[in-house]
Amino acid sequence: MRERAGTVSRLALPVRAAAQRVALPFLIFLSAMLVVLGKADILLFDRARTSVSDALAPVLDAVAQPLGTVAAGVRSVEDLFSVYGENRRLREENQRLLQWQEVARRLETENTELKGLLHFEPQDVHGYITGRVIANSGGAFLRNVLVDVGAREGVERGQAAIAGEGIVGRVAEVGSRAARVLLVTDLNSRIPVVLDSSRDRAVLAGDNTARPRLIYLPSKATVKVGDRIVTSGSGGIFPPGLPVGVVASIDNGLVRVEPYAELSHLEYVRIVDFGLSGVLPQSAIPMPKAPKGARRAPDTEAP
Amino acid sequence: MRAPVKPVLFQRDTGLFNRLMPTATTFFCVFATVVPLHLPGFAVVTPSFVLMAVYHWSIYRPDLLPFVATFAAGLLLDLLNGAPLGISSLVLLLARALVLSQRGVFVGHGFTVVWAGFVGLAAAAVVFEWLIVSLFYGMVLDPRPFVFQAVLTVSTYPVVSYLLVRVQRGLLMRA
Repeated sequence: MRERAGTVSRLALPVRAAAQRVALPFLIFLSAMLVVLGKADILLFDRARTSVSDALAPVLDAVAQPLGTVAAGVRSVEDLFSVYGENRRLREENQRLLQWQEVARRLETENTELKGLLHFEPQDVHGYITGRVIANSGGAFLRNVLVDVGAREGVERGQAAIAGEGIVGRVAEVGSRAARVLLVTDLNSRIPVVLDSSRDRAVLAGDNTARPRLIYLPSKATVKVGDRIVTSGSGGIFPPGLPVGVVASIDNGLVRVEPYAELSHLEYVRIVDFGLSGVLPQSAIPMPKAPKGARRAPDTEAP
Repeated sequence: MRAPVKPVLFQRDTGLFNRLMPTATTFFCVFATVVPLHLPGFAVVTPSFVLMAVYHWSIYRPDLLPFVATFAAGLLLDLLNGAPLGISSLVLLLARALVLSQRGVFVGHGFTVVWAGFVGLAAAAVVFEWLIVSLFYGMVLDPRPFVFQAVLTVSTYPVVSYLLVRVQRGLLMRA
């Protein structure tokens, strides 16, 4: 018995060394295969991703919560130093907003009256699902966050996520208790938008920079810095009119948009429950794995 | 005063706990990468903590961080990050193989040499990652975020390295 143990330990070292030598090329090959297979958008990979996010969501949540509290504490100390200037700015803003409130009230009354005249039926009522950001991708080429709400809470793939003043992105993957939101700045993000003033349609395309680009803008479109961008509702996924951002720069026909939402410090996001089933026929509701073209609802196409 | 950590190639370790420490810290680095830290500047791009851990352990205790653990850490990172699977594993495995082949250069030298070595590794890793991700998406990606991440990674290395050395000292004390 004793002799055998000795043999085993004598053998163990070379065996381990040999295993290590074989392991490296094998694992490199395996990684490369994963990359190549991933290109084919395999369902299994998506499942693996959602189940790992689901399984680790409670852990990430537990870590994210105290960190968020610490960050809030740090911010409140920072805020102390800017109290005076901030106060003055807010007073001025309040003045301005009071004027706007006046305008809004007048328009609301007018709107109600006109709607009454037209027998207008309200289109959609959306609900919100609020989630805490429990993980964010720190990679150089990824812009997404993981939130702690999922299918259990009613989150569905394709829904819009907003934070603060504007849109953050759309739900790309849904697990039972976690969902991944693809930010508007991500390379793969494409959101149908419209210029608020001219009603020109375009697509907001992320490219990993802080300011996504406007593509497919009609050549005759008049766009200037400071123009407001909202979702157009084309494609039937997003509700129309959600604030997106403002045109930040126009350089050689390259229009960049500064998002309203502060994407770098996301703590909570609200998922907009569009209530698609109430607006579109059952057959037009996007299935989770439907190809991109099939998502387009025929009755919401651009005129 | 404590003696500086001497790199040891083969050392008898007591207990599973000690032997798992490098793997455990590497996986901890995976979580540190994805958890929202709410630090100014870290918000959009975070440093590659996992690359630091792989570099550190490959130099000081190459016997305790198996390739399988390196692969698994990369895979978990990609799963949590929402990245194409396999890319981080590939980068980390190649980084580890590269460091192991050049290990003799760093062993027995001071921190400056080790840090300089890490600058080289981080540069190589980021160029490789940029290439493979560009190939994956079939377009030339903007290299600036990659460069920014490399600079961030290199500049935060001393802090992470200090923490890992503390862990390693604890490990040697116990042994």
